[in-house]
Amino acid sequence: MDINIPLIEQVQAALAEALQTPIDEISPELALGDLPQWDSMGHMEVMMVLEQKFGIEINADTISALISVPAICDYIEKK
Amino acid sequence: MQTITIIPQVGIPDHLIGEVKSKLAYVDEAIIKAQIDESGREIKLELRHPMEETSLKHLEEKVQQVVSTMTQGAIQPKIQVLEDNMAVLTPYCNDPTEELIQQCELHGETAGVFTLGPMLTRLIEFFEENFITLAASFEAKPYRFPTLIPARYLERVNYFRAFPHSLTFATHLREDLDAIDHFAQHAACDESGHLNQPPESFAKIQTLLSPAVCYHLYFSLADKPLPGGKMVATAVGNCFRYEAINLTSLERLWNFTMREIIFIGDKDFVLENREISRQRMARAFKDIGLAYRVETANDPFFIGEFRKQAAFQSAFQLKYEIRARLPFKESTLAVGSYNYHQDFFGRHLNITLPDGSPVHTGCTAFGLERMAYAFLCQYGTDFKQWPDVVREYVYG
Repeated sequence: MDINIPLIEQVQAALAEALQTPIDEISPELALGDLPQWDSMGHMEVMMVLEQKFGIEINADTISALISVPAICDYIEKK
Repeated sequence: MQTITIIPQVGIPDHLIGEVKSKLAYVDEAIIKAQIDESGREIKLELRHPMEETSLKHLEEKVQQVVSTMTQGAIQPKIQVLEDNMAVLTPYCNDPTEELIQQCELHGETAGVFTLGPMLTRLIEFFEENFITLAASFEAKPYRFPTLIPARYLERVNYFRAFPHSLTFATHLREDLDAIDHFAQHAACDESGHLNQPPESFAKIQTLLSPAVCYHLYFSLADKPLPGGKMVATAVGNCFRYEAINLTSLERLWNFTMREIIFIGDKDFVLENREISRQRMARAFKDIGLAYRVETANDPFFIGEFRKQAAFQSAFQLKYEIRARLPFKESTLAVGSYNYHQDFFGRHLNITLPDGSPVHTGCTAFGLERMAYAFLCQYGTDFKQWPDVVREYVYG
């Protein structure tokens, strides 16, 4: 995590990587299901990238809670 | 026969012991029994025949691969219990299988394939009547689906990648007079029941035996808008899921019958009806006197990337299993499930709502043989011990 880059941009970059999608398709409000790539399989890729980049533990609670860019940002900020 | 012990390089967590054990059945044809101790640190395999050292080494590598693939990064599911009626008092605590065989109610044809006698048939009809009543309460339209399903259908919904281990293939002799004549003259089974004909005699595989009922409906609706934007349908059908050495008694059948009530529409429509069907069945199971619980679960995906979907299913509560108590082994058996597929089939099969978005789907599914088996595990084969409502239906 780079403190010089706004968190939302880091999250957008992480999602673009996980979903193998150009970053301009990752809007600040993007949520699970909004892109064909962000389906159940894509969501688990998102979770793994979030684990690597932000140290988020993957468990049933985080899987079901981190379902949008704002939700992910909120979670990381509170962490 | 040979027994070997393998110490897994990675300990198997408690919540994965059953799942790893069931997958070991597919590692090698030589394995006839697989056991994992409670600590998850020792695997015992019984082999059909003694193996040479190099083959044993390869077998162990495959076992280690299965264990490490399934355990590394495994996410412990958070199981939520929605109904708990496990404390219902039931009078029987043996496995009724032997009794059923002696009473000519059960006849095994091959592993996981049974014919059922009159009492079991009537008992299944009793449960069927309950499920048909449930379907009628939703004004579900009746459907009949074939037993065969085209390979390209299952390919389109990623079934080959998610459940390759359980597929059952259907073929026929090639349209070739020589091959047909040769078959007619020489076809015979060896002592293990294997047909002695070469694979070249058979046509390339285009069809499989269907693993589920509801797929047929989704394919009949594919590539067009869903008329009216919602529907409820019901059907009963033969389903086939190969489970290798796990095929034991009526608990695990290769060929079984499933009744499904299928909901198609928007998300709210599907989720609301799934919940209503659960509540209505809770009342029916109470009347029957079944000891069971309903809890979150996931499908038995094969090892590989699709296992991630198991964690997703569990976290989002996409599947609730009805698990009936098997008192003789202090265990439970999944006899049905309430499923929500999100928009998976809508997206993959291009079935759309009036606004152009993909439909959501869900189904309530009951395994009829398992239902009857679980009931007999709890109440035995002596009808005098049965709840009135069941006895009166079966015996009048």
